[in-house]
Formats: sequence, C-alpha cells, structure tokens
Amino acid sequence: MEEALVRATIPQDLVKALGVESQTRSKADAFTQAFLKNSIQQHSRHNLKNMLTHKAVILGYTRPKKEKKRSSKKAKGLNARQKRAMKIFDIKPEHQKYELFLPLHDLWRQYIIDLCNGLKPSCNPQFVQQKLLKADFHGAIITVVRSKCPSYVGTTGILVQEFKHVFKIISKEDKLKVIPKRNSVFSVEINGFVSHIYGSKFEQRASERSAKKFKVRGTIDL
Amino acid sequence: MAGQLKDKEAYQRLNYLYQAAHCVLSQNPENVELARFYCFTQKTIARRLVLRQDPSVKRTLCKKCCSLLIPGVTATTRQRRKNRKTRFTVVKCLLCGQSKTLLNNPDYCLWVDRPEAQLQQQKQPDRGPSVKNQPKDSDPDKSASSTPSTSTAGT
Ligand SMILES: [Zn+2]
Repeated sequence: MEEALVRATIPQDLVKALGVESQTRSKADAFTQAFLKNSIQQHSRHNLKNMLTHKAVILGYTRPKKEKKRSSKKAKGLNARQKRAMKIFDIKPEHQKYELFLPLHDLWRQYIIDLCNGLKPSCNPQFVQQKLLKADFHGAIITVVRSKCPSYVGTTGILVQEFKHVFKIISKEDKLKVIPKRNSVFSVEINGFVSHIYGSKFEQRASERSAKKFKVRGTIDL
Repeated sequence: MAGQLKDKEAYQRLNYLYQAAHCVLSQNPENVELARFYCFTQKTIARRLVLRQDPSVKRTLCKKCCSLLIPGVTATTRQRRKNRKTRFTVVKCLLCGQSKTLLNNPDYCLWVDRPEAQLQQQKQPDRGPSVKNQPKDSDPDKSASSTPSTSTAGT
C-alpha cells in the first residue's frame, strides 16, 4: 500500500500547476537510492565494526573534545591535502558508463551549434575553428588521429574531464582512458565539420583556455 | 564591440558547464565528482575572466567544495528560526558539511533586480570605451556583502 503510494505518478493537474514531471522508473530509482544514501548519516567515528576489530576497547568516559571554532564563519576552500584525501574529482569506477554520458554529448552538440550561430554547412571553417578554440570540450566525442605512441591511435570516446596534461575519455567499452595531450592529434566531429586539436598546443587547464590568446599560425609538429 | 562578443563566448561556456553539471547529476545522482569538476571549472573561468555570476547560480554551488547543491541529492534544505520572527533557510552540503544560511525575506530584492542597477548599466556605454566596467562590477559585490541574505554560517 505505502509502496504503491511512493511509486505513484504525479496527477495531471499537479503536473501543470507545479511544472514538474514524473521521471521514468529507472531514473526515479536512481534518485531514491542516492537520496537514501545521502540522508542516512554516516558516523565514521562511531563505526562500531571497525572499533571492535581493533585491539582493545577501554570502557570509560572521556569528555568529547571540543573542536576548535573558527573565528570567522566564512567558507574556506579546501587545501590540496584535503582535496587529495577527498578524491575530489575522481570518477568512481561504477559511474564509468558510456551510456550515462550520452545526454552530456547531446547537450554539448547543442552548445556548439548555439555557439557557432546555428552551424550551417555554409559556415566558414575558419570561423568555426576560432569559436572552437575558446569552446568547452567536455562532452565531445574525440578520436586520437595521430600520436607518437601508436597504441593511442584510434581511441574514441566521450571526453569527460580535461586536465592540464591529459584528457580523460570514456570509451564505448565503459573504460576510462587517460590520454596525454602532448604529442597527439585529436579530432572532433560536429555536423560534418571535423576539427583537429593539436594536443601539444593545448597543454593548459580547461579553465585557462578561455583567457588565452592563440597565435594565428604556429609551427606544428608532433 | 569585440570585447562584448568575447564575453558572450565565455558566458556561453559557463552556461554550458552549469548545465552539464545538472545533466551529469540527473543521469546518475551519485556521480558528484564529475559535477563538482564542471562547477569547479566554471568557477575558475569566471574568476579568471572576472565575470559576475548570477546570485541564483552562486546559491546552488558549495563555496567550499564547489559541488552543485540540489536539495535531496547533494544538499539538505531546512528551515531554522532564530528569534520569533526571523527565519532562515539553511542549505547544507552533504559532501563537505558546509552550510549556507539564507534569510527568508519575501520583500528582499537583489541588487541586479533593483532599478538603480539597471540605470547604472545603461549609463555604462555613455562613458566611452576607455572606461573599464569597474564601477559596474564593484557595486553588486558591495551590495552582496552588506545584505544578510547571502551570508554564510559555519556548521
Ligand atoms: Zn560542499
């Protein structure tokens, strides 16, 4: 009875009033799982199982240590050690699924088409290239065309993370591949326009490219 | 004119990154790392190019760990009362524990929504191209720090 209530779809009149829609079953399930996992508080300090496997437990009362209060209530960023401990940007292996990133790719296509004012076939390739230089590539399907290391050639996948020296792409086989930018040429295809990225020229963080000025024509070799 | 166009590209990029973070979380609510990476990139781009982001965007990002705050998925939203009258909405990031406290004030009007801000933006082009848009940029900042609604509180 209760379960049926939980799984009930939103009534039609409410859909209009609230502007929300019922999700598909798999999506709703994923949301519920994540919601429950986040809602149940985890006490790492009071992890009993861990504590009992330890050598000895002293039964006694210790006054809980007062945590040092910060003078200001402002949020402070995390330092590098904390970031490393949190694995702040590492994608967990169970989330490395190719089909989970397909909507991201669709979103990316829309973004690029919007960026290039519609991207008609009559567009000047130079113009498109200029726009792509400053564009974001997260979500693009990229292929390694040439590389000094032959085993990288032909690798295709959705680019999920761009770092200073590497691209992290997810291949169709649900594998996360880390490809160094240096000494490789990548190709990006969108609506018939194929653009080549010279990785050696791209060795910056994803955020730095927005501000950088590129030379019109530099020497290009691998 | 060229400067304006360049900004437009950057804003489109910020917009895309923000949407991408939402897209990733809607596909897989547990993949917080990637969403956080996109929001972090978005934040760094905005910082490098000195672009102001809308308060509605800023309020959905964690100041500490840069993750996207979606109530129920990556954040909890609770109502808290201080005195009899003042009530706050407390949004707590589930990933790092940082919380932000927003005053419930239906009459509160953001600086960008106020008519003065619009006037100032319209005045901008008259000053000529040599004047940088510093006055425009510094004002929203001042207003944001003086209003209680955007202040953050520790846990
Ligand atoms: Zn956080």
